[in-house]
Amino acid sequence: MLEQNKTRKMKTLKINKLILLLIGLVVFNSCVEDDDFDTPNTSIVEPNIPADQIKLMTALAGDLAQEQSANDGIFDPQPLDYSNEDDIVDYVFDEEDVYVTGYVVSSDEAGNFFEEIIIQDKPENPTIGIKFLIDVNPLFVRYEVGRKVYIKLNGLSVGITNGVLTLGTNANGEVDKVAPSLENDVVLRSNEVATITPLSVNVSDFEDDLTNLCVELVDVQFASNQVLGDNPLTYASEQQDQFDGERTLESCAESGSSVTFSTSTFADFKGLSLPTGRGSLKGILTKNFEGEAFNIVVNSPEDVNFDNATRCDPLFQDSFAAGNLDLWTPYSVTGPQEWYYNTFGNPSDSATMSGFSGGAVENEDWLISLPIDLSAVSTAFFSFDNVKRYSGNDIEVYYTTAYNGGDPNTDGAWTQLFPALDSDTGSWSSWVNSGAMDVSDAAGGDLYIAIKYTSTSSSAATWEIDNVSVSVE
Amino acid sequence: MHALNNYYLIYITINLKLGMKKSFLLFLFSIAFSLASFAQQTVVKGSVLDGTTGEPIPDVTITIEETGQTLKTDAKGEFSFTQNVPLGEQVLKIEKVGYVTKRYPIIVNEGQTVDISGMTLDFDTSDKKDLFIISISDDNLNSEDDGLTDNISGLLQASRDVFLSAAAFDFSATFFRPRGLDNANGKVLINGIEMNKQFNGRPQWANWGGLNDVQRNQEFSMGMSANDYNFGDLAGTNNIVMRASKYRRGGRISYASANRSYTGRVMASYSSGLLEGGWSYSVLGSRRFGEEGYIDGTLYDANSLFVAVEKQLNENHSLNFTGIYAQNRRGRSTAITQEVYDLKGRRYNPFWGDLNGEQRNSRMRETNEPILMLNHYWKISDKVRLNNNVAYQFGEIANSRIDNGGTRLVTIDGENAYLGGARNPTPEYYQNLPSFFLQDANPTAYDYQQAYLAQQDFINDGQLDWNSMYGANALLRNQGGNSLYAVQSDVVKDQQLTFNSILDADLADNIRLNAAVSYRNLKSENFARLEDLLGGTGYLDVDFFAEEDDNSTISDEVAANLAQSDVRNPNRIVGEGDRYKYNYEMNANVISGFAQAQFKYNKVDFYVGANLSQTTYQRTGLYENGFFQGGGNDGSFGDSDKLDFSNYGIKGGFTYKVTGKHLVDVNASYFTKAPSIRNSFSNARQSNATVIGLESEKIQSVDVSYIFRSPIVKARLTGFYSGFKDGSDIGFYFTEDLAGLGVDTGDAFVQEILTNIERRHVGVEFGIEAQVTPTIKLKGAASVGQYTFQNNPNLYLTSVDFLNRSDIDPQITFGDGTTNLDGYHVAGGPERAFQIGFEYRDPSYWNIGVTSNFFSNAYLDVSNLARSANFSSDFDGNTFNDYDEAIAKDLLRQEQFDDYMLVNIIGGKSWKINDYFVGFFATINNVFNEEYKTGGFEQSRLANFRRMQEDQSRDNGPIFGPRYFFGNGTTYYLNVYVRF
Repeated sequence: MLEQNKTRKMKTLKINKLILLLIGLVVFNSCVEDDDFDTPNTSIVEPNIPADQIKLMTALAGDLAQEQSANDGIFDPQPLDYSNEDDIVDYVFDEEDVYVTGYVVSSDEAGNFFEEIIIQDKPENPTIGIKFLIDVNPLFVRYEVGRKVYIKLNGLSVGITNGVLTLGTNANGEVDKVAPSLENDVVLRSNEVATITPLSVNVSDFEDDLTNLCVELVDVQFASNQVLGDNPLTYASEQQDQFDGERTLESCAESGSSVTFSTSTFADFKGLSLPTGRGSLKGILTKNFEGEAFNIVVNSPEDVNFDNATRCDPLFQDSFAAGNLDLWTPYSVTGPQEWYYNTFGNPSDSATMSGFSGGAVENEDWLISLPIDLSAVSTAFFSFDNVKRYSGNDIEVYYTTAYNGGDPNTDGAWTQLFPALDSDTGSWSSWVNSGAMDVSDAAGGDLYIAIKYTSTSSSAATWEIDNVSVSVE
Repeated sequence: MHALNNYYLIYITINLKLGMKKSFLLFLFSIAFSLASFAQQTVVKGSVLDGTTGEPIPDVTITIEETGQTLKTDAKGEFSFTQNVPLGEQVLKIEKVGYVTKRYPIIVNEGQTVDISGMTLDFDTSDKKDLFIISISDDNLNSEDDGLTDNISGLLQASRDVFLSAAAFDFSATFFRPRGLDNANGKVLINGIEMNKQFNGRPQWANWGGLNDVQRNQEFSMGMSANDYNFGDLAGTNNIVMRASKYRRGGRISYASANRSYTGRVMASYSSGLLEGGWSYSVLGSRRFGEEGYIDGTLYDANSLFVAVEKQLNENHSLNFTGIYAQNRRGRSTAITQEVYDLKGRRYNPFWGDLNGEQRNSRMRETNEPILMLNHYWKISDKVRLNNNVAYQFGEIANSRIDNGGTRLVTIDGENAYLGGARNPTPEYYQNLPSFFLQDANPTAYDYQQAYLAQQDFINDGQLDWNSMYGANALLRNQGGNSLYAVQSDVVKDQQLTFNSILDADLADNIRLNAAVSYRNLKSENFARLEDLLGGTGYLDVDFFAEEDDNSTISDEVAANLAQSDVRNPNRIVGEGDRYKYNYEMNANVISGFAQAQFKYNKVDFYVGANLSQTTYQRTGLYENGFFQGGGNDGSFGDSDKLDFSNYGIKGGFTYKVTGKHLVDVNASYFTKAPSIRNSFSNARQSNATVIGLESEKIQSVDVSYIFRSPIVKARLTGFYSGFKDGSDIGFYFTEDLAGLGVDTGDAFVQEILTNIERRHVGVEFGIEAQVTPTIKLKGAASVGQYTFQNNPNLYLTSVDFLNRSDIDPQITFGDGTTNLDGYHVAGGPERAFQIGFEYRDPSYWNIGVTSNFFSNAYLDVSNLARSANFSSDFDGNTFNDYDEAIAKDLLRQEQFDDYMLVNIIGGKSWKINDYFVGFFATINNVFNEEYKTGGFEQSRLANFRRMQEDQSRDNGPIFGPRYFFGNGTTYYLNVYVRF
């Protein structure tokens, strides 16, 4: 028994030693990764690129223009042709790496841009932008808006795709996406992240050279039929939206001018309702898929700030496109001639009056609008386009708050307005806008506007009236 | 004490060389007889000692082979057969787990006592269990509900059957499944308590991994044959005995080195044996570790602890406590396409990437589910024993992955938009592979260039880019945004309480009654947990992919909340450790009863058994999902319908002993099984919906064996049949262009629900081993089976992408609502396996064995959707106008994998140094580095004629080809140990 205990004790001692050994082994071998990984260093090493290895973006456009000119059979150098998608320039530099640099203005965060980065030459007052194609997504997590990047041109090509200047890989004669594995080699990031100041433009200012730039449209709204009524549209999730949802942006600053606002059906915000108000918008000016028409594309719905609930829709509008004068009461006081619909106008369709019929005929003819409801507004301004041909009396313009369809000389208390009128009687196209005429006195009730034509037996001018508009401002 | 052993060896030699069997037996007999008593009874008695320590071994099973009578040795290692002892030449089989089995020939004369005291058993140094445990943990830790890796060989490790040990040790490295069964068809018990998970019916091996030293006591019953603890299941029942008093005194310290799953393992264990005062205890600690296994990036980090304490209160009562804590963290790998395999090889694992110079695997599987149990053993009388158990298991299993759907909330005029989200960052994403760039019929120079660059990039890198994910999050954090990428875990947090009572009564000398009642209660919390923001500060918990269908009829208020994981708590920013995405509880209760009677007679043994059980499942939603707003079966919040299953089973079988050498064994059973929780709820993460048409599975099974055993040769030949009816299964995948859903609106992430599955498993299996000399054993095994579907199961799809559409049902079906699986093979490893091998066991304690294993007739798991009417139907539901039967047949032919042969070598040696036993044991698997597919599945992404034909006929390979599992190349395992 004692003997047994002794052996047991000895064994216990040995066991203890072995367990110590074991613990040692465990500790020694415990070098398996645990769950706690350190955050890796994600800082950026500033690329050090000598100035002589940087090629200006404008030089890329110049190279392409030169290439186009060389192929167009015209001796003189031509400006860049944005409709020429055939010619491209391949960059091969044997000696050194050459870069183009710029600031990112697009973002694929919301999925409205896909596998492309739009960069422009300067954060403020840019002069040129370029679309860079690369088969990588997401891109916004490395190339956020404002980030300065350098793109190595070696092996890349520049050309026109979808109507805009594009940088990428030569894919069988057209510029296409750079392979993802080349990303780290081709695109270098600077530490500089600039604040992009969008270029403030009007819709009428759009031209090819402004494409690929971040622009601001100051006073715009979506077309009333897309945001008002029973079936307001979303950005891009309507049944008819294929690839892109195309919506109409109207300029308030420039009555009548508009541009297509395009949103991808893959955008994260495609299901949002279009804002109903008006205001400013920051986006990229680009072209549609066919490269034929200007498009505005935003990075995020946050770039649309239509915080003014008062739309700039006219209270009354007639461009006579309906082919008739149904919104008007023509009233002939004197003479056989009357106001009539005419297919010519600014740019087409107008209400026209001429007292000439084989010779000048004496006429007094009023063109009086149907009542225009100003009950909900406190101000109202009236404008129209006009053109005068042949000599004769000028038209006169009036408004009133009550009119019953009778002879305007006795029916209604008319107040005269003084529009700007065309004085160039020699041209059909010397259209003049009347300027905004204050008719706010009629606010709160009905408004009738009237254009009074007169001619004598000795002189009878022809007046065309178009784009009649009454709006709150 | 060695004397008898030596005589035995001499006997064999003589028997072989001279054929002088009889004379030698007489010789042996005379020795035995000299010790015999002069009792009137015919008695066979003796004792068993440890061949090296000389200590008596208790619990050794002694079998008289002819009659099958068995006894166990008592604490002094003694036994005695006194009843119905057969006369004449007999063979006594002496076996105990952990020891090399021995068979002693004896001669029994009427009225005389044969006393063979001092028989020895040698400790089995081959340690095969280690080998097998590795393949089990490999398979089970990698599996992700793909149904392919659920090998049952773990069940078989305790089996001494020639065929089954081949299956366990040599066939398990591949996906071979005995009789085509997976481990949901087998039961694993610890101390009589069922350990199979109720979620999927499978044992979770990781929960008791790394405890090899204390899991040597295992009781396996094959198939549906009689089992003392429960009704059992088709693939058998394995009870692991982890009682403190059942361990022999001593300790063991070992170190293993391998290159399969872990690269190192240290283990130390000590068992007290029975101490004064009736106490006994056993402890074990082990650690398994590895930066990567055979597959790249498969980190292994596991620690296991085991404690058992038993107090023998008195002669009749004993109380045991067993505690197991096996913590396991493992980096997973996945099935890859042929294209990926061709570029990267079979070790490739897309789940890991370099981070700060170290491998980081994005898909970790972490198991932390300690088990505590109390076992009460009550010897009511000499004939009646009652065992009461209570077990509590708690903890969680977490599977991590990358969440690439991080977004930023933008609210415009009260409407929400979620900006962000990223493409799947996996390096083997189809758009990163050459086939994607070369998909057109006539690729251009640019296509080839892109493909080449993609190929080079994939070959040279091809791993997960952690830095870009951290970089993205850092950039967004600087802008005040949320993480775009994060690491999440799918967590199952279980609490399970089990009570059972097991009765074992000898009603008469040859009649034994087993009965058990059991109650199990499971509360399982299932949720996603944000593990790592990857440098970010928060994550917006919305479903980035949520989108209202164009044809939806839902109200604007409902539509506005679709993306919410919890409408009651919308647009939450979650941090690390928070639950998000989904969160629900599953409650399951099972009450069961079982009874069985075993009868033993001279010529025939037979048994009958039956069971009854009641199972209920209920889901309780803790989140109100945006797609399934409200409660009830159509919603997601609160309680689902309660599913209730009543099940029963009967079984019976007999062994007819034609002679002691020739036996016929027959087992038959019919039983029903409640579906697993997994297959009961069609979309448990998002809704309360239960599977429509769900039934208990009905199983009928019969097997007939012929068993031959002579002192030299042991063989078994079995024919088996199992029929399964009303099976069910659920799959999840993304698919394109579903039939009848309109142009461009047929893409969806779907749940595929299959019910009314009928399968038939038939075949024969054969095993033979011949102890041709005392040192050389030849062995052979073969299995030829056919496991096929026998009907066209019902198939329906559900998806949030089609929810609330006015033009279709929420459960989408195709054609007659079935899928044409009739005749297809049930995937799951080779249907045919053959082995020949030999073992040499040198008397001076070293051994070597070689087996050559040949496998064939393994089949790809087919896409069920592609076998439904969806295959032939266009977006408008009509048949494709270019549909061609002949081409279709070709496209839908089930791929059969190439045959392959694996050669394995096994060997070891042990020494006795003073009181210590030192040894090593080593295996080399797949010596010739054979490359082979072990399994795989068709992707259901393109599951119609036109898309599949287009994809399959691409010159440069399909984009969405099948994914395969590849077997390991040459691997080794080496274990050195000290035992005392």
